[in-house]
Amino acid sequence: MRDDPHVVALVTRASGGDQDAWYELVDRYAPLVYTICTRYRLSNHDIEDVGQNVWLLLVEQLGKLREPAALPGWLATTTARECLRVVTAASKAGRLGTGLDDSVLFVDDTMIDEEILVAERNAALHAAFAELPPRCRRLLSMLVSDPPHSYAAIHAELGIPVGSIGPQRARCLERLRRSDVIAALVEGEEKINLRGGEPGA
Amino acid sequence: MRNWDDDRLLAALGQALKAREAVPEWFIETGKSAFAWHNIDAELAQLTYDSEQDRRAVAVLRSETASIRALTFTSAHLTLELEVTGNSLLGQALPPRAGELEIETKAGVASTTEVDEIGCFSVDPIPDCPFRLRCRTADGTDVLTGWITI
Repeated sequence: MRDDPHVVALVTRASGGDQDAWYELVDRYAPLVYTICTRYRLSNHDIEDVGQNVWLLLVEQLGKLREPAALPGWLATTTARECLRVVTAASKAGRLGTGLDDSVLFVDDTMIDEEILVAERNAALHAAFAELPPRCRRLLSMLVSDPPHSYAAIHAELGIPVGSIGPQRARCLERLRRSDVIAALVEGEEKINLRGGEPGA
Repeated sequence: MRNWDDDRLLAALGQALKAREAVPEWFIETGKSAFAWHNIDAELAQLTYDSEQDRRAVAVLRSETASIRALTFTSAHLTLELEVTGNSLLGQALPPRAGELEIETKAGVASTTEVDEIGCFSVDPIPDCPFRLRCRTADGTDVLTGWITI
């Protein structure tokens, strides 16, 4: 996924001034930036501060990213650095109940690498999900909701006979599994594995 | 992921959808609005001092708390020292030199003011929304601060 042509295209378009491409990049990577902020246990105010700096730095860097495909890694490291800056400032000012060490121990490079993998996997699942027919999207959404809907509730809402829900679930998931985005992700993760990274899917 | 069974794939999908839902709308908006700064060729100045943060630390030690808010933004070529005095914001560019100061809100440029030859400027009134300052000096230095809320 590190050399996902879709991400490379988004970065190129955004750096040429395409606002929609920028919006898509933000939608895609906001969960990554946000999750890392929550790992540092920042307040909402500090999360907003970090977010503003990270996105602003990215806007400035768009045209200069030597390897647009390395964007998730760049975002994760930059976010972690900005979080650390905020935590350090708060710690110096005695604003934190817990010491600086607690937070820093909590966040290490392995965590960052995992977050990048999860973010890429989630982005691929999201993209694959968006390509499914509306009927599949509605069914799968109801199945993954928390708490999950019962088959009776799904029947009442979507009008699918209870006996057909199981087979439809299987068909929809098979479409998801066979999508091109998932294929690209699997290839990317295999490449990372060959370089000795995390065990993949 | 291709060889995952249905349950595992469905669980992963559930997590992916949930991860995106967990991100607050304001956070995404912050990211999207940052594009307004695309193609602005200014150097970013980082907040290196904020009396507000210091005050909380020393408040327990003093009977009276300092009421003057002071901020410092630093970049490689220029430092901006800011102090809130009543309704206005007094500033000093270091090293001292003349230039122009833009007060920028999220909606765009709110106003401009002059930086005199000894590097002093004032922002009056202080915007009541988050703003940032962009200082362009006569010798071509162009510096943009982070967002400020007074």
